[in-house]
Amino acid sequence: MLHARRLVLAHFSVAFAAFLAALVLGAWQMYVRSPLSEWVHNPEHYYRSVTAHGTVMAYVLPTLVAMGLGYAITELALKRPLIGLRWAWAGFWLLLIGTAMAAITMGMGKASVLYTFYPPMVGSPFYYLGVVLVVVGSWIWVALMAVNLRAWKKANPGERIPLAMFGNVAGAYLWAWTSVGVAIEVLVLILPASMGLTDTINAGLARVFFSWTLHAIVYFWLIPAYIVFYAFVPRAIGAPLYSDTMGRVAFVLFLVFSMPIGIHHLFADPQVGIGFKFVHAAMTAMVTVPTFLTVFTVVASVELAGRLRGGRGLFGWVRALPWDKPMMLAVACSFVMLGLGGVGGLINMSYQLNETVHNTQWVTGHFHLIFAGAVVLMYFMAAYELWPQLTGCAPLSPRLVKAQIWSWFIGMMVLTLPWHLVGLLGMPRRMAYFDYTSPALQSQASIVTASAIGGFILLASGILLVWILATATRRRSTTVEPFGFSRPLHPQARTPLALNGFGLWVAMMIGLTVVNYAYPIAQLASLEQASVPVIPIGSR
Amino acid sequence: MREQGLYSWRNPWFRWSVGLLVAVTVVLLLLGFVVVPSVHPDFTAQGLWAGICRAAGVPAEWSGPPAAVERAPWTTGVVLERSMARAGSAESAGHGGTLASTSCTMCHGAQGVSASNAPNLAGQYPEVVIKQLRDFRSGARASPIMQAMAKIFSDRDVAALASYYAGLPRPRREPTSDGAPVPALVHVGAPLRNIAPCVSCHGGVDHKLGTPWLDGMPKDYLVEQLRAFRSGARGNDAEAQMRNMARGLTDAEIEAISAFYAGTAGAPHAQ
Repeated sequence: MLHARRLVLAHFSVAFAAFLAALVLGAWQMYVRSPLSEWVHNPEHYYRSVTAHGTVMAYVLPTLVAMGLGYAITELALKRPLIGLRWAWAGFWLLLIGTAMAAITMGMGKASVLYTFYPPMVGSPFYYLGVVLVVVGSWIWVALMAVNLRAWKKANPGERIPLAMFGNVAGAYLWAWTSVGVAIEVLVLILPASMGLTDTINAGLARVFFSWTLHAIVYFWLIPAYIVFYAFVPRAIGAPLYSDTMGRVAFVLFLVFSMPIGIHHLFADPQVGIGFKFVHAAMTAMVTVPTFLTVFTVVASVELAGRLRGGRGLFGWVRALPWDKPMMLAVACSFVMLGLGGVGGLINMSYQLNETVHNTQWVTGHFHLIFAGAVVLMYFMAAYELWPQLTGCAPLSPRLVKAQIWSWFIGMMVLTLPWHLVGLLGMPRRMAYFDYTSPALQSQASIVTASAIGGFILLASGILLVWILATATRRRSTTVEPFGFSRPLHPQARTPLALNGFGLWVAMMIGLTVVNYAYPIAQLASLEQASVPVIPIGSR
Repeated sequence: MREQGLYSWRNPWFRWSVGLLVAVTVVLLLLGFVVVPSVHPDFTAQGLWAGICRAAGVPAEWSGPPAAVERAPWTTGVVLERSMARAGSAESAGHGGTLASTSCTMCHGAQGVSASNAPNLAGQYPEVVIKQLRDFRSGARASPIMQAMAKIFSDRDVAALASYYAGLPRPRREPTSDGAPVPALVHVGAPLRNIAPCVSCHGGVDHKLGTPWLDGMPKDYLVEQLRAFRSGARGNDAEAQMRNMARGLTDAEIEAISAFYAGTAGAPHAQ
């Protein structure tokens, strides 16, 4: 029984409502910059839309889902009521107020700076304050996760932390540390300029601070999906989890290695030395390790399911899998997108190869495939799994859920594969229109049209998602089955002390951040005449 | 489950994880700061330490002290500050009005709207007037009449003139809102020729600091200025933004843009 039922439901509802609005904007963007539409007459409208789409999809949706899922897991996995329910509501309201503040400012065209801020462009202070409130609201969640885990440990000394909760708290600590970068950037550098206290801004330093957040935030988005992989998927398809320890190793590796690698977003930035670029690029390669471990463990668990169902031989187990179950389909689709997007990511993170795709549509294709594809699909699955617990509805129609998964998968492939292709052909990202009548671009027109169609398939799929969730309560259930997590294949296996806590890994995360960021930050902060005049956006 | 002392070298998890992390970090630092730079002679020409400093991004002279090269003249000495865009006091505007009545009205019109081919000043952004007057005064922008006029104004006079003209009513409305056919260059530019749309700086979509209000400007004045930017005869745009935009324009395009902003392209407009 979920005591924090309404709290979790509020988080998921607002997350998906905002998601649908941002999805409409995304589809509109795809349409206006494709050959299907006339050039957008006011490019500022396009950038306004991109800012809103990015702000919702990058800050609001994943933060709310991570928080909602975190609260649910705290109760379901620790089997005790959430401590600090009022604080949790306070965090939720902060997030809501922040989102509304940012949304109104963006809607008025006072902050068309894109969600990555891009100083020296500077928008209205209300936009940044809105984002700050979203982040501060999420810090309350971080604190509550720590408090709840601590209380549980005190009551259960020496017990193994359930894997779902372990991943959840790893994500919370990761977010706490990674959000410090953007917090410093906004509070120390951008807000003073935005409020007119200074006329110049150290744009190079601001970009380094943002890179501190920019890559690790991706793993904060990813962790809820990985929790679903480890703690939901095997149970849903009737298999044990192949290795509980492997899951813990993956989560702590994310904690250590996702933070000190953000400078791979600054390969083209002259203010950062090549030594740091190299070290960050090489450490980015290290984050593939927890992903490979996860893919291995989840595939091994799935194989167990196939063999338990009578599958034989090298590949016979694949046919024997429960393909009628939505979760089976979802994890397969998610892995396909994770695989393709991951391989593309290896190109982005390589210092030299990146030159060929830097700031092209390739990059947009990459992060949509990984985040909007592989990760957000698992957000949907988390909501579908939790919905009967949250609303008391009967289990959702597998037919509709599968239709939604298929349409999301197909839409995402149709959207992103053409993007990758035109990116290789050199099409820049962040452009409001392209002159397809030019012989140089004409051959790309049909490819861009295809990706726009992908955008509309995704919009339809998003509407289906919200419809499934919104109408679920029409079919009430008299008894809601208690929620269970995956059980490890070897429940008696010993969990090392190191993998039952976070102290060591948090210390390594902070230590590695100091090694990889202290010098570039100190050097840029002490550099004289490093500031440039701000470019106010939407001030007249 | 109980395994005493996580933070001890006797704990294999602690030993291996800390040891491996330190080893990996040290190897990567050596690769990034010593081995990789050594491949490129620029980095190591002044020894190992200089190479490490360069890899770390320490600002340094890369090719010894520069030969004595005559520095090209600044295109403008004016640094645009946001404070320039704020309207001055009523007193300042009054002082500006007095100055304007004796020095400016002959060419720029009694109400700041020119009947000759001098630019309109009514409703012009204050920082634009400040920048141009200071550029005339320093010689960054050439004009026999204006250079001589600007020399007699102090900084206080310049600010006063700017706030006076900023307060006068503008001759015409937004360029994109009056239904006249808008040339593509004005509202979308020419992306493949790297020409940004006029409205992204001159108002309509966005207005950038120091960028003048163009609506209702005399056509001949606009044509002359665009040609001057194109040839480089005028170069007081600090980032060469106007020279870069104008360089790719044909004579016909300059005519069309100027006619549009002058208001003579579509229906005749009232001033």
